Amino acid sequence: MTDLAVHFEGVGKTYRHFALDDIHLELPTGSIMGFIGANGAGKSTTLRILMGLLHQDRGAVRVLGYDMPAQQAAAKREVGFVSEDMRLYKAATLAWHMAFIRSIYASWDPAYAESLLRRFDLKAGQKIKGLSHGQRVKAALLLVLARRPRLLVLDEPTTGLDPVARQEVLGALMEVLADERRTVLFSSQNTLDVEQISDLITFIDRGRIVDSDDKETFLDRWRRVRLEVPPGVVLPELPGIVGASVGGRLAVLTTDRFDPAMAAAYREAGATVQAVDIMTLEEIFVANVQSRREGQAA
Amino acid sequence: MNIPRLNGKMVKRLILKDWYFQRWTIVAYLAAGALALFLLGTGGEGSFFAGSILLITVLIGLGIHVAMATIVQERTDQTLPFVMSLPLSPREYTTAKILANLLIFLVPWLALSLGTFAVIAGRAGVPDGLIPFAALLLVEIFAGYCLLLAVALVSESQGWAIGAIIFGNLFFQAFMYYVSHHPAIAAAMKEDGIRWSQPAVTLLLGEFAVIVLLLGLTFFFQARKTDFV
Repeated sequence: MTDLAVHFEGVGKTYRHFALDDIHLELPTGSIMGFIGANGAGKSTTLRILMGLLHQDRGAVRVLGYDMPAQQAAAKREVGFVSEDMRLYKAATLAWHMAFIRSIYASWDPAYAESLLRRFDLKAGQKIKGLSHGQRVKAALLLVLARRPRLLVLDEPTTGLDPVARQEVLGALMEVLADERRTVLFSSQNTLDVEQISDLITFIDRGRIVDSDDKETFLDRWRRVRLEVPPGVVLPELPGIVGASVGGRLAVLTTDRFDPAMAAAYREAGATVQAVDIMTLEEIFVANVQSRREGQAA
Repeated sequence: MNIPRLNGKMVKRLILKDWYFQRWTIVAYLAAGALALFLLGTGGEGSFFAGSILLITVLIGLGIHVAMATIVQERTDQTLPFVMSLPLSPREYTTAKILANLLIFLVPWLALSLGTFAVIAGRAGVPDGLIPFAALLLVEIFAGYCLLLAVALVSESQGWAIGAIIFGNLFFQAFMYYVSHHPAIAAAMKEDGIRWSQPAVTLLLGEFAVIVLLLGLTFFFQARKTDFV
């Protein structure tokens, strides 16, 4: 049986204008999951439920073996959480925050904290109110990483960071991930960030999980096929076509179940396969969401 | 139902955190309160009146400052997700917030209340009979603070907190008018000795009952909350 760090089963939460519905999510221990969704898709709500900051209306959530939200105090001892809207105390210094966290977590690693200070180019004596947004995110990450949590939950930590700060943050994360026992759930709108560090990908849209798989499988099974279709040629209806745009003699088909036999089938029908393009994660995300939305609307 | 034990260490850390951030607030209000007591204890009638107004203002201001800074600001400054991500339950957070607030408010309140009683008792020409009246007003200010604390903690809303401040102040004015015009209490105020009339005792007990009720209701409503950020 797979050891699951996070397990959501039929989780839902209803607000007046938004509902998180029937969320099933499994994150095996040692995995890094990228959680991708547009603004308002439900990423933060899901992660806050995971942390016990919001209580689900229905369904069950287990985090590191603890039932949430009932056992949140015990679970949060082993979970590190950083979110884009989380702020530290602006009147206090980073050193004060480090001492505060150290007084709470026995797992605090002072040497690692010092190395993170240098790596992130932060000064412990500086007050939080004097830090830039990028420095504040790095300070929050330092406070979490230096206590070496078993599970890291990062809710859009790279949002608003400049490219250098973003690379520093991602670099530090990749270093942390060298420890196989650590599990990470990383939400972002930026598919490039997610692609760099994740081995599992989950897409969420309008409060529902629309797809979840490992990154390589995602990249392998999604393709964009460009065809030249002479007049009179009828393309066969193949399974897995999630989007099609036709303009004159050119057709561009998007598939989420690409098989080389597909190209052969189109050739046999009389079309010319001009290209089979590999799709980026962003293209896959957009195509996936659009096809689901069109499916819902139909 | 099996209620898990409170993590006393965690609660203590949060109390110390709030105390640390409010330490200069306490000092500032204590200093202003000391000035009020000085005015109460020296000079003529005008000075006594000014001292009374300043003392009331300092204590009400302290309550507003502490509740807004430790509770409402935690939401508006977005430090609440940081606190709630620590290994604590909502019940521990509520307990820590209430205890921290009571501690931060009660230390100056108690010091200034005792100072007020000492000034009244020590100042010639001011009857000691004022002490029960002063005690009623001081405890009413504490009750008003508990109302603000309850509303701020349960709603975490600046608007609701301001509503509670306005209601509390209006009620305080009405209460002061009622107490000072109550025949039995007004008569006892003019006496040289301290005499607790039956209406004064009843009102004092009522104030303490309201304080206990407000704190109990805060726990009750907080326990039913499902959203903490």
